[in-house]
Amino acid sequence: MVLVLALGDLHVPHRAADLPPKFKSMLVPGKIQHIICTGNLCIKEIHDYLKTICPDLHIVRGEFDEDARYPETKTLTIGQFKLGLCHGHQVIPWGDLDSLAMLQRQLDVDILVTGHTHQFTAYKHEGGVVINPGSATGAYSSINQDVNPSFVLMDIDGLRVVVYVYELIDGEVKVDKIDFKKASTSTSAP
Amino acid sequence: MVRKKVPEWLNSTMWSTPPSQPSSFNDDSTLLRHSPATKMSSMKKQEAESISVTPPPSTASSVQSPSPRPRNNGSSISGEYGNSSVAPSSAEDFSRQAHLSAELSKKVINMKELRSLASQSLPDSPGIRSTVWKLLLGYLPPERSLWSSELKQKRSQYKHYKDELLTSPSEITWRLVRSKGFDNYELKSGSRCMLSRSRITDEDHPLSLGKASVWNTYFQDIETIEQIDKDVKRTHPDIPFFSAESSFARSNQESMKNILLVFAKLNQGIRYVQGMNEILAPIFYVFRNDPDEDSSSHAEADAFFCFVELLSGFRDFYCQQLDNSVVGIRSAITRLSQLVRNHDEELWRHLEITTKVNPQFYAFRWITLLLTQEFSFFDCLHIWDALLSDPEGPLVRFAKSIDAQDPLLSLQESLLGICCAMLVLVRRRLIAGDFTSNMKLLQHYPTTNISHLLYVANKLRSKMLV
Repeated sequence: MVLVLALGDLHVPHRAADLPPKFKSMLVPGKIQHIICTGNLCIKEIHDYLKTICPDLHIVRGEFDEDARYPETKTLTIGQFKLGLCHGHQVIPWGDLDSLAMLQRQLDVDILVTGHTHQFTAYKHEGGVVINPGSATGAYSSINQDVNPSFVLMDIDGLRVVVYVYELIDGEVKVDKIDFKKASTSTSAP
Repeated sequence: MVRKKVPEWLNSTMWSTPPSQPSSFNDDSTLLRHSPATKMSSMKKQEAESISVTPPPSTASSVQSPSPRPRNNGSSISGEYGNSSVAPSSAEDFSRQAHLSAELSKKVINMKELRSLASQSLPDSPGIRSTVWKLLLGYLPPERSLWSSELKQKRSQYKHYKDELLTSPSEITWRLVRSKGFDNYELKSGSRCMLSRSRITDEDHPLSLGKASVWNTYFQDIETIEQIDKDVKRTHPDIPFFSAESSFARSNQESMKNILLVFAKLNQGIRYVQGMNEILAPIFYVFRNDPDEDSSSHAEADAFFCFVELLSGFRDFYCQQLDNSVVGIRSAITRLSQLVRNHDEELWRHLEITTKVNPQFYAFRWITLLLTQEFSFFDCLHIWDALLSDPEGPLVRFAKSIDAQDPLLSLQESLLGICCAMLVLVRRRLIAGDFTSNMKLLQHYPTTNISHLLYVANKLRSKMLV
């Protein structure tokens, strides 16, 4: 039962001051085992804040990140699932599902987490699942000015995943749930 | 001023503890387990006849008769504890075992009879201790015919507790999903689509801070779970049953953790207190090593109920608020002190006044952990035989201050009696010692012959009523 927090596109301090207080009150240390961040934090203070929530932090580079050392893409294995992480501004057209599916096949992962569009999506195709956690601060994007703050929490338990989507709509936190599972993989070489 | 004279038999050199050679306990118990069993079958017939003639009190009195007999008995018994190559040879052991087996195979078991037999300490042969403890703790009713239905009911109840309390929140969520009949999406199953979302209205998500949330209670219990985990891993590191690298030991640890966690969740008042693992260990060990397949596989459920039963007599000791009350630990320690004073004024005076050894320093661990830390594991099993069988002892019949209907209260009294006997047995060294040496002695109680100890405890209590 592993809890993985996925968030990104905070754009602090350029486009937003901080995470919404309702989100901050929920994100207490001790509950979450991993954080995967799609990028565009942009400053070190946010990096440190995320580190206090959970010491295992994975970040990829967004185009406005001030720390140039983050990688462009990252893959990690949590439980039985392979997760891929990429900001998404590299994939053109932005947010296009076919192109993201191509990236997913390239990275060879079950779940691909990308951002950049500041819009939550969860999409399934033959290669796996693509999840976009949206913007955790509700910062405006190049294509969209009216953004609801959102982030995603995944509960990975064996071969099953429950995705909890937290959105701030009209000042209230609304939680949605998506579940899917993976067919048990047969062992590779004899 | 009349000084209470210490009776001669107490001061005899026989009671002082000889430095026993460290015997390997595994060998000891296996040998004791096997040899009586083989010799039993041949001797059983003869013994059974002689037993029907001699009622149990006479075997007890034959042990209690003065000088020459106890010395013989003492040396043969100390032989069986100290020297692993000598099998128990005394006829009394065989007769006791025969009587026990006869008693246990009756249709309706006479509990009084069983208690008096068990208070002499049970043989180590497989299976007997497990059944007798279950009877003594009230888990099995005296009527044999009711056993299978009782066991079935209790075991299913435990399974129900486990399902209710120990399932992880993830598991609960998935069960809900399945019960609602949703078709789970399968990764890589072909079709392309936007994954549909379902709104959660009942506040049950992992970051929920709501009181009714399954996740919230899960995170709050994590601290208890960690504590239990640490303690179980540290239980008896010298005994392979608990701490070997094998999957058997790991499954034993898992079972113990489950029992302690279910108990903590059902008893929000005391939850888990460090030391409960030590009290659970002998119970679980005895039940798990029962040669009967059925009992052994359900050892976890049986041990849970017996653990609850045993602890209910002492639960007030674990509640901090009750520390200073009449039922709390402090009052028990005071009672022990009083007991020592009544029996052996000189020892009491020397211990508490002259050397200022506050009984709290040593008796706290003795009482709250039911003497599991003072003796070796297998010696402890013998002491617990006497402890669990005691409620029908002479103390209950005569003492007016103790509620004779409450067997659990007299369980405390018999525990205190054994503690008093422990002090009396080393009185020579205590009186000769100062604060430091006395503390050292009492906190690392020397290896003793358990039968001696129980005999002294019995004698002290019967003396008190004279």
